[in-house]
Formats: sequence, C-alpha cells, structure tokens
Amino acid sequence: MGYNISDMIQGFHTALMPINLLFVVIGGFLGTIVGMLPGLGPATAVAVLIPITFGMDPISALILMAAIYYGAMYGGSRSSILLNTPGDGSAIAATFDGYPMAKKGQAGQALAMSAIASLIGGLIAVVGFILLAGPLAKFALKFGPAEYFLLFLFTLSAIVSLSKGAMVKGFISMAVGLLLSTVGIDQQTGVYRFTFGISQLSDGIDFLVVIIGIYAVGEVLYNLIGIDKLSSKGKKGVGKIWITKEQWKRSLGPILRSGPIGFVIGCLPGAGGSIASMLSYTTEKQISKRPDEFGKGAIEGLAAPESSNNAASVGAMIPLLTMGIPGSGTTAVMLGALVMIGLRPGPLLFKDSPDMVWSLIDSMFIGNIFLVIINILLVGLLVKILDTPPKVLYPIILVLAFVGTYTMNYSIVDFYLLMIFGIIGLVMKLLKFPIAPLILALIVGGDMEQNFRKSLVSSNGDLGVFFHSGISITLIVLTLLSLTYPFIIQWFKKRKKSADPANESM
Amino acid sequence: MKKSMLLIFGLILTLGLSACSSQSSGEGEKQYPKGNLQIIAPATPGGGWDATARAMQKVFKDNDLITNNINVVNKPGGGGEVGWKYLKNQKPNHLAINSSLVLTNNLLGSSDLTYKDFTPLAILTTEWEAVVVPKDSPIKSAKDLMKKLKVNPKSLKVAVAPSLGNDDHLSFVQAAKTYGVDATKLNFLVYGSGGDTVTALLGKHVDVATMSVSEAKEQYKAGKFRILAVTSNKRIKGLDDVPTWKEQGVDMEFPHWRGVMGPPDMTKEQIAYWDKKLSKMVKSDDWKKIMKNNDWEPYYKNSKETKKFLKEQNKMYKDLIDEAGLAKK
Amino acid sequence: MILRMLVPAFVSFIGLSWFIASVLLPKAPLGDPNGPMYYPLILSGFLFVMGVIYFIQELKVRHQEKGILKKLFAGRTPKLIIAALILSILYTLTFEKLGFLVSTIIFLGLLLFVINGFRGWKKWVTNIAVAVLFSFVLWYGFSQLLGIGLP
Repeated sequence: MGYNISDMIQGFHTALMPINLLFVVIGGFLGTIVGMLPGLGPATAVAVLIPITFGMDPISALILMAAIYYGAMYGGSRSSILLNTPGDGSAIAATFDGYPMAKKGQAGQALAMSAIASLIGGLIAVVGFILLAGPLAKFALKFGPAEYFLLFLFTLSAIVSLSKGAMVKGFISMAVGLLLSTVGIDQQTGVYRFTFGISQLSDGIDFLVVIIGIYAVGEVLYNLIGIDKLSSKGKKGVGKIWITKEQWKRSLGPILRSGPIGFVIGCLPGAGGSIASMLSYTTEKQISKRPDEFGKGAIEGLAAPESSNNAASVGAMIPLLTMGIPGSGTTAVMLGALVMIGLRPGPLLFKDSPDMVWSLIDSMFIGNIFLVIINILLVGLLVKILDTPPKVLYPIILVLAFVGTYTMNYSIVDFYLLMIFGIIGLVMKLLKFPIAPLILALIVGGDMEQNFRKSLVSSNGDLGVFFHSGISITLIVLTLLSLTYPFIIQWFKKRKKSADPANESM
Repeated sequence: MKKSMLLIFGLILTLGLSACSSQSSGEGEKQYPKGNLQIIAPATPGGGWDATARAMQKVFKDNDLITNNINVVNKPGGGGEVGWKYLKNQKPNHLAINSSLVLTNNLLGSSDLTYKDFTPLAILTTEWEAVVVPKDSPIKSAKDLMKKLKVNPKSLKVAVAPSLGNDDHLSFVQAAKTYGVDATKLNFLVYGSGGDTVTALLGKHVDVATMSVSEAKEQYKAGKFRILAVTSNKRIKGLDDVPTWKEQGVDMEFPHWRGVMGPPDMTKEQIAYWDKKLSKMVKSDDWKKIMKNNDWEPYYKNSKETKKFLKEQNKMYKDLIDEAGLAKK
Repeated sequence: MILRMLVPAFVSFIGLSWFIASVLLPKAPLGDPNGPMYYPLILSGFLFVMGVIYFIQELKVRHQEKGILKKLFAGRTPKLIIAALILSILYTLTFEKLGFLVSTIIFLGLLLFVINGFRGWKKWVTNIAVAVLFSFVLWYGFSQLLGIGLP
C-alpha cells in the first residue's frame, strides 16, 4: 500500500464534490437517527438503502454507507445518556456515566462531551487508517481461535471486575449471559441446544432483543414504580450544553487513550464496538485517580467509551477494504451492497482503485466534523425529551422498543422474549444486579465457546495452544491484571497510608 | 375497577377486529396476481438469499415485467426454516428464495418441512464450490490433498462455514469419497461465515478451506490463495487455470444453487404466470449485470425442470449426508 | 423476608435445571459426541453454585428491610406493571393481525389511559392525540421513508 500524496488530494477532490458532500450529510444524519432508535442500527439502515445504491456511483455509495455507520455511533449514545436505554451493544458503556450525569442535571454537557469524544476518536482512527491499515490487517490475521478466546475472556474479566464489592451478583449476571449464548444450533456439531423446538431460537437469542428488553422495557417498568410522584426531569434542568474547562481537562487523556484502543479492536473481525467501548471504560476506571466517581457521573467515564466505539467503526473498515472480509454485521451488509453494484473490495482494492479508498478516507474526515456539528446542534433539541412528562414518555419508549425489535427479525416471537427480559431487567434493577456483564457475556459467549473448542480441535486437545503466541501471553497477562488490579492498588494504598499518613489528603 | 373494565374492553375490541380482518383475507383469485407481491428472503440482509430477492425485485420493477408492488420480506432463522414455515401458510402472492437447505434441513433432521411441501417455481442461479489452500502450502493439487487425507484423515484442519451439512461441507465430502477418504474422520473446523473462513486461511489457522468460488476469487487474484479444484463441469471464466474436479478424476458437478418457490397448492395458471415472468427476467440485461457483479452463474430451470431437479438433488444429498456421518438416527 | 429469598432460590433453580437439560443434550454425530455439552454444563454448574452463595448471603441479612421492595408493592404500582404486561401481550397477539397502525394506536392509547387515568376531557384529548399522532409518525417513518415492511 503505497501512500501517494496526489492520490490523497485527488480523494479530497472527489469527497468534496457537492453530490458526495450531500451523501455524507444525508448518511450522517440518517445514521444519527437510526442510532438513536432502539433496535434499529446501521446494519438495518444500510440494508434499507441497498435498492437505492443500485444505481449509484460506487464511490458515492461507499461514502454514504460509511457515513451511516459512524453516524450511528454518534447517535447510539443519545438514548443511553438521556433515558438509560442503549440502542446497541456499543452504546452500553455510555449508560454507566452518561445517565448518572443526566440525572445530576448535566444532560447537555454529557451529550456535548459524547459528540466531541466521538469526533476525536474518529479522527484518531482515520489517521490510524492512513498510517497503519496494512500492518494492522496483518496483525488481525494473527488472531486465531486461541487468541480470540483469550480476548473474549479478557473482556469478560474486565467487566466482572467492575462489579467489585458485589462479585456474586456480577458472576450470576455473567453466567446467565453465557448460558443464554448457548441457546441455538451448536456451530461445531449442528446439534440444537435449548431451542424447545422453536425455530426462531435456532440462530440463538439476538443480543439486541436482550438489550432492548432489559434496558428499555426494564427501565419503563422500573419507572412505573412511583410514577405518580415522578415529575419531568426537565425541572432539574439540563445544565449548560457546553463543557467546562475542568471537564475537558479530565477527559482529554481518556479520549486520546481510548481512540487507539477502539481502533485496534475494531480492526479484529468479530470483536467490534461493544468490546472496544467496554474495554476502554474499564481501562480508564482502573488507571483513574478517582475510580470511585466512575458510575456516578464521571465525565471521563463517558468520554472514553464514546471515543472508542467511534474509532472502532472506522477500524472495522480495514478488514473490509484490505481483505474483503466483513468484520461486523454492518460491514457484511455493506459488502453485499457494494458487490451488487459491481465493486468487490479485496486485497487488490488499494492497488487497483486508490482513488476510491482515498475518497472514502477523506470523506470520513469531513463526515466526522460534520457529525459533531449536527450532534451539538441537536443537543438543545434532544434535552427537550427530558421535558416530556414521564407518563407520556415511558409508554412511547415501550412502543419504540417493540417496533425496534420487530424490525430486527420481523418476528413476534421476539416480543415474548422482550417481555421476559423486561421483567428480568426490572428485577435486576430492583436488586441492583449489574447488567453489563449479562449483555457482554451474551455478545461474546457464543464465539468464546466456539473458539475455545476450535483451538482444542486444532491442537488435538493440547491446552498449550493458549500459550503459544505472543498475543496469547499478553492477553493472559492482561486478564490476570484486570482481575487482580483492584487488590494490588489497595495493597499499595495501604502501604502508602501506613508509611505516610499525611498523604491522605491528596 | 375502571381500569380492569378498560382492559377487558380493549381485549374484546382488539380480538373482534382481528377476527374481522382475518375473515376478509379469503378473497377470490380471478386475476393473478392481485395486490402486493412478497418475496421472502429467509435470512437477514447481507447474504445471498437477500441479494437474490432484492435483485428480483429490482429487475421486475425496472423492466416493467410486473407492475404490482413488490416487497422483500426478511424472515431469518433456522437456516431458512422460519421463512419457509411462514411461506407455507401464505397466499400465492408470496414467493420465497430457497437453496439446497430446503432439502438438507429435512435430511439432517432439523426440519419437518420437505421440498414437497411447496410449489417449485424455478432455479435461478448457481455458484460453484472451491477447495482452497494458502499459496505457499506444500499441497499443490487436489490429488496431493486427498492422498494426505487418505493416509490420515486427521492430518489437516479443514475450514467450512457456516454449518456442517451445507454445500461447502458436502461438496468436499463427495470429492473425498471418490478418493476413498473416510469423511466421517475429517477434522472440520466450523466458522461463522465465508469471510471468517477466508481470514482463518489467510492467517494459516487452518490448512484447507472449502468455500464458494466468489469468496476465494479475490484472494486468488491477489496471489494469496491457491484454488485446488472447483465443482463446475467446465472451467470457470476468469479462473481459467483452475482445474475442475472432473479433470482430476472425480465425477461430480456440484452447484450451489438458489431458486424460488411458492406456497403449496398453486394453480396451473399461477405457475405458468411465474414461468413466463421468470424466464423473461433471467434474459434481461439488468439481471445479467447483477449476476456478473455477484459472481453468480445462470442456472435457470423452469418449474417443470425444477421439480425433477429437486428430486434428483434430494437423492444425492441423502447419500452424501449418510457418507458424511450426519444422517439423522 | 420470604420475598428476598425468592430470587436467589430462583437463580439456583435455573442453574440446576439448565444443568439437567445440558446432560440430556443429544450427542454430536461427528467429533467428540459430548462436545456440545461441556460448556453449558460448566456454566450451569457455576450458576447453581453462585445462586447458593447468594442465597446464603441473603439469608444472613434476611431481617434487614428492603426499601425498594416496599415501594414495589405500594399504591397502584403492582397493578400498573401487570397492566403494562397484559397490554404488551395483547399487542403481540394483535400486531400482525391488525397491522401496525391499528394495533399500535390501541396499545399506546390504552397504556396512556391506564397510566394517566381517564378523568377530565383534557386527558382524553392528549391521550388520544399522542397515541394516534405518534403511531402515525412511526408508521410513516418506518414503512414509507425507510421502506421497512411493517404489517
């Protein structure tokens, strides 16, 4: 992959053509909207556009679809912050601190910060794309079954470590998520597991249904408790819609660290935004000087995952464009659409049509800047949602949850699942169970098992396969660290305290 | 108290209305087709079934072959099972895309539906299957590969996607059978999608992979993969130096076809209608262009030929599934 | 008091039944015949153990009050939650039969009435207006603008 300045400038020319600018705007806007709605995500939006892209110039089609993808990453966290109802796996981490911020009356600032963090994360990733696409594609190939298994294990351990102090509940939540991931056809053998003869279950339980059930429906049911006393949250005020200098200072470091984390994880086919945002959140919490504020509305706890998931959506384009391999649901649909119009992304794309790749990269620059403007303009409008009386708002959210679920699989079997998970969500909220371990376990659980078994089959049962590469060993070390880190820190603190009691006021 | 009254009232209202609407659905069918047409893609967007359905929708509309409104309905789940079960109870203005899974689901014991439960309308396209190794693999030909597997079936890791018993897997089994390899002992690693198989082979986490030709083609052109054999009976255009299985002494033609079918009990007139429209569709330039872009090959068979073809295929798949050791007990 | 033991007991019960269901899984036709079984076995066993530990933890603090549970059974809350669930089931049953628009208007309308009460004409107007308008906007947005097929 040679880097040619003239190609890059040519790319800007193409990307700046009025028609392509228009597509960036439309795509970004559409992406933001579908990202906000539960269940609807970039994959659906791109699929809907397939008939329209038929007649389009391949470059424009690619620009449009990419804009939808990262637009949805901006939009996805809106509902996480305002209503505690993430629309997608990659927006879960935004609920941890985004929703508490909104409750404290800082909704405006949370929304603004999330847009800014997304912008910076996105820009970091675009630069990363330009400089590292080739080497990273090669790096991603080194991930075999064993490495993937360890990556998923690391993710889970990082998340469980978040529920420090309520470990049992965290483990129960995780175990339920993992068990749910075993429902459906077992990939390696074709055996049907726990489907009870319901053919809609044979492909497994869609994690999005679970997200919408537990978060959205659960939140609605939870808020029915004492709804007569609830007044619209608007009265508490939504605060300023611009961040303060202090908030900016606290967030800059996390944003700059999380962008690259998200970008690299996004490059791995099958990992994606959920894992990326979760890992950057846990990383920031663990290295933070104020870990106790995380989960209670710490702005850096919102900035980190936002930067990360947007970077991951750019990273996900790398396997698609360099190898023709879709790494996520959305890129799979994009690949299908591109093939239809006669463009087959693959190893030769960079060589054969550098103009196309550069136009796309340049359009991502423009698109991200544009999106941050849309999203900040929208802040004023969105916080109005909180002015809606809860007695009207929550019924509407419930309807949205149903409709969003329907658009995923066009099946009302999912409605029953939605209700079951709504009740489970209510109980979990009442008893203060952590929800994220369940969802993440469900997302990674299936792949984790399959990769574990594939590794053992390929090594003929030898467990050594999990230690044979540098990547595996790094991941094992990280896993152990994430589990023991809180204890190590405590130990250090204790020692410090006993050595120098005056330091306590720090 | 009032609330429960309200609930009961709502219950009566909705049930009453739903009874009305289901009554009105049994209209006469003098003029076929009447109203909207639905093409069911039994999968999520992004795969071959969905692409076929959307291509049909587009070609019918753009060439004014059918003036009725056409919708694509995605009904994913259970390897087509959900969509086809849905089709079974629909009016004849519904079609569904199918493939060999409509046969194998039943043969593998995962479905009660058989191809006989539907009205076959046409086979539209096919892709071919390929056996692929990395470019620098010591295995140079299909013969090398099979010899190695005959000595020790477990010596190589073979990637397939997305499940055992599908065309990727069974085409390999058929080839292995001819060389006297025990297909039940082979070391198959099942990946989630064709893309995952490509990644696994590129990263050399497996030794061999079986996938559709279109999935292997780009990497082949880029010099990363070697294609050992393809399942077509003639060499494929654009892959002129890749031998077929036939040339290497395996008598097989293994299409990975896709077709359309309707609900059970369609009338003769209705079948004739689709024969006419579909035969026109496959001749259109728009269709040919979409086929080329997708690396699909024409494989058109009309309703009569399709009926016969499905019967033959069913027998072939039955034998292969026995051979692979997957037959239902 | 009994109530707070219910959840841990239920968790253990799920773990145990899932464990049994895992033992009863069909054997795989190829490879290790027990391949599909190990993972759910380990997990359900783990869930069961965690459920038991949770049970013991709760048993130790069984005399403490749980404020949130009190709230759950206060006033009309339980009725509201049950009403919302019943309406949801109704919605599910009618969704494909009546079509999106009609079933959604009925569902949303009834839900609004149940939550807001139906005294005073102002409430009637707002409830009906919200139900009809919102359903229509949704329907228009999805099926007309986005082209997503709704029944």
